[in-house]
Amino acid sequence: MKRLANPYLFGAVVVATIVSFALPDADSFRVPSLARIIFWHLPCAFLTTGLVFLAAWFGLRYLGSRDTRWDIRGAAALELGALFGALTMVTGILFSKVQWGEWWQNDPRQTSFLMVLLILAAGLSLRAGLSDEKKAASAGAGYALFSLIPNFFLMFVFPRLPQVRQRSFHPSETIQTGGFDGAYWTGILVVFACLAWVTFIVYRLRVEAGELTVRAEFADGNREADRGSAAPDRMVRPVPVPPGGGD
Amino acid sequence: MKEVAAVFQKEWRAEVRSRHGLFTAGLFSVLAVVAMSFAGYGLRPSGSLAAGMLCVTLLFSAILALPRTFLIEDEQGTFDLLRLIGEPGPVFVGKTLYNIVQMLVTGALLGTVFLALSGVEVRSGPLLVAGLGLQCVALAAAVSLCGALVIGASNRWVLAGAVAMPLLLPQVFLGVGALRVALGEGMSAGGWQSVAGLAGFAVAALASGPLIASAVWREE
Repeated sequence: MKRLANPYLFGAVVVATIVSFALPDADSFRVPSLARIIFWHLPCAFLTTGLVFLAAWFGLRYLGSRDTRWDIRGAAALELGALFGALTMVTGILFSKVQWGEWWQNDPRQTSFLMVLLILAAGLSLRAGLSDEKKAASAGAGYALFSLIPNFFLMFVFPRLPQVRQRSFHPSETIQTGGFDGAYWTGILVVFACLAWVTFIVYRLRVEAGELTVRAEFADGNREADRGSAAPDRMVRPVPVPPGGGD
Repeated sequence: MKEVAAVFQKEWRAEVRSRHGLFTAGLFSVLAVVAMSFAGYGLRPSGSLAAGMLCVTLLFSAILALPRTFLIEDEQGTFDLLRLIGEPGPVFVGKTLYNIVQMLVTGALLGTVFLALSGVEVRSGPLLVAGLGLQCVALAAAVSLCGALVIGASNRWVLAGAVAMPLLLPQVFLGVGALRVALGEGMSAGGWQSVAGLAGFAVAALASGPLIASAVWREE
């Protein structure tokens, strides 16, 4: 936690907060002052996208090498991806209520991002459902890799389909067409930099905690082995004994 | 190819003997369609609504029936033996091929019963066949991989469905896009665009599934 109490990081967060409030209101929105929600909404979505790809990359590395370090990194990326996905949803729902009048509009873009979040949640659920750590690691890696296909579709293809663009309130080409003015880009990038910094620190902490757990389990196993009472690596099941003993 | 054929043959023989997978999927599909037509008695659904109902029934049918081919090996304790006899890749492909056949039969049955009971008119037969067929292939490929991944979990039957469901939603969207046009709503070009999307999904799932499954199984 000491790393999160970094004075430079604290200063950057203060600057990001000041910049986001100092920027002029976006007059084209229904509630111009609250258009600032996108300063948080967009960076959270960018980070989710990056973490989804990172989890798939670590999954690929794990399946290729069987090195536990890649599994720990993949799990950390998946967990943080789910966290930022949830934050994207929350900020999006707030924006929807404030600017469009409804908490949930059944907007295709809202629904597609909810699907991405559900895929991330299913990945976490798969890891939690397998008690054998090696099986959980390999199944989690395989799932992260395979889920890249629907995630890519939901994040990049689906929002740009003509029938979706016609029905959606959510803009899809704002960045590509230069729809944000320079001042708004400044706000988004400053908040993105702060969030990416925090994400990196939390990611490093999660990876270190995972590696320490593996090392502690390994050392514990060695101590047990030294005492000659190592736990067997196979399950022992009771067997029926015939009457009069088993001799 | 020999191993793939042997695994497919094994699955087929097991099905002929027990009549469990196809029978369960077929029964579920017919019951679901009868329940829907009973609930909407006297109403003729629009093309979009009919396509949605058909695709969602197909989705649940796939989730209910397809993971069985993998999970039953785990429950019977024959999974390790199977992996000793064959390479992981061909074993997965053989089982996935069987799942595709099962899903195509289920899809044909479901589509026929649904059209007969709902009274929806078909505007484009080729689009209906292509959309339904490719959705069945895409669903079978994705659910097979999910079934393969959850082997060893304590609540594997539920987990297989929970894990597969979000991965299948884009395919359901594309399936609805194709079938709604086939059933009389929307532009023909949009329907064929959705069919192309389904084909892309099917190819991607069929190509990556065996690689991922064999990489996951190899270590255990």
